[in-house]
Amino acid sequence: MAWSYFASPATFYRLAGRMAPWFFALAAISGALGLYIGLYVAPTDAQQGEVYRVIFIHVPAAWMSMFTYFVLACYAAVSLTFNTRLAAMMARALAPTGAMFTFVALWTGAFWGRPTWGTYWVWDARITSELVLLFLYFGFIALTNAFEDPRRGDRAGALLALIGVVNLPIIYFSVKWWNTLHQGSSVSFQGTSMHVQMLWAMLLVAFSFWMYTIGTSLVRCRAIILERESRARWVRELKAA
Amino acid sequence: MFTTDHAFYLWMSYGAAAAAIVAEIVMLRLRRARAAARIEEERDLETTD
Repeated sequence: MAWSYFASPATFYRLAGRMAPWFFALAAISGALGLYIGLYVAPTDAQQGEVYRVIFIHVPAAWMSMFTYFVLACYAAVSLTFNTRLAAMMARALAPTGAMFTFVALWTGAFWGRPTWGTYWVWDARITSELVLLFLYFGFIALTNAFEDPRRGDRAGALLALIGVVNLPIIYFSVKWWNTLHQGSSVSFQGTSMHVQMLWAMLLVAFSFWMYTIGTSLVRCRAIILERESRARWVRELKAA
Repeated sequence: MFTTDHAFYLWMSYGAAAAAIVAEIVMLRLRRARAAARIEEERDLETTD
């Protein structure tokens, strides 16, 4: 079966409708398990006490904020290169969830920073570049909705998304390139310095956020398809049925 | 741990994250309902014409 078959909004609409509940179910199960381990099983941190448990939300949200932008930029590149409607719709569908996770990462970081660093905010390279990411999401959402012709909005947004990709390595390597207050990574491909229960909790919540992002973007993409293709025969037949 | 010295910071973090997720789901449902309602309206208008 050709990949173009799945790039059809009509096919995707039905497929996404069947898949989204499964992603939400996976998100709920893994999220509940991750939070249970993080809040009730993982030991208290010797230095930070109980407040360290903010990381079970903060770190997965920060990972998702960057990963979602990367996927958004990939969809933007596909939509610009092949002029596909569905890729542009998926890029639009991902942006609000990415912005939400970026906000959650910044917010929870502030409430972790106050008791540990003594301040809610500092113009640190990691935190500032994460704030720039939030503005990139806002810019993308505003730009794509600024045009009467949605296809022109798609192209303008895709260009902004691709330019904004340069911010991702800046966020990731900021703690290495500059002398920052924000600590370096506790988890990397080389290994981790975390307690195994803390690591499991964080990975499960990260998986939950990932499943949630896929689920919400599928549902939002379905809404965008309905908005854009409202005059298409298949949409009329779908709603009439 | 939600009643310790740092309970405020934990509640504000977990509470805000939960509120953000709930708000997104509510807005998503509203958007989808609006899109579906618009299609129904257009279809009704066509049938009455």
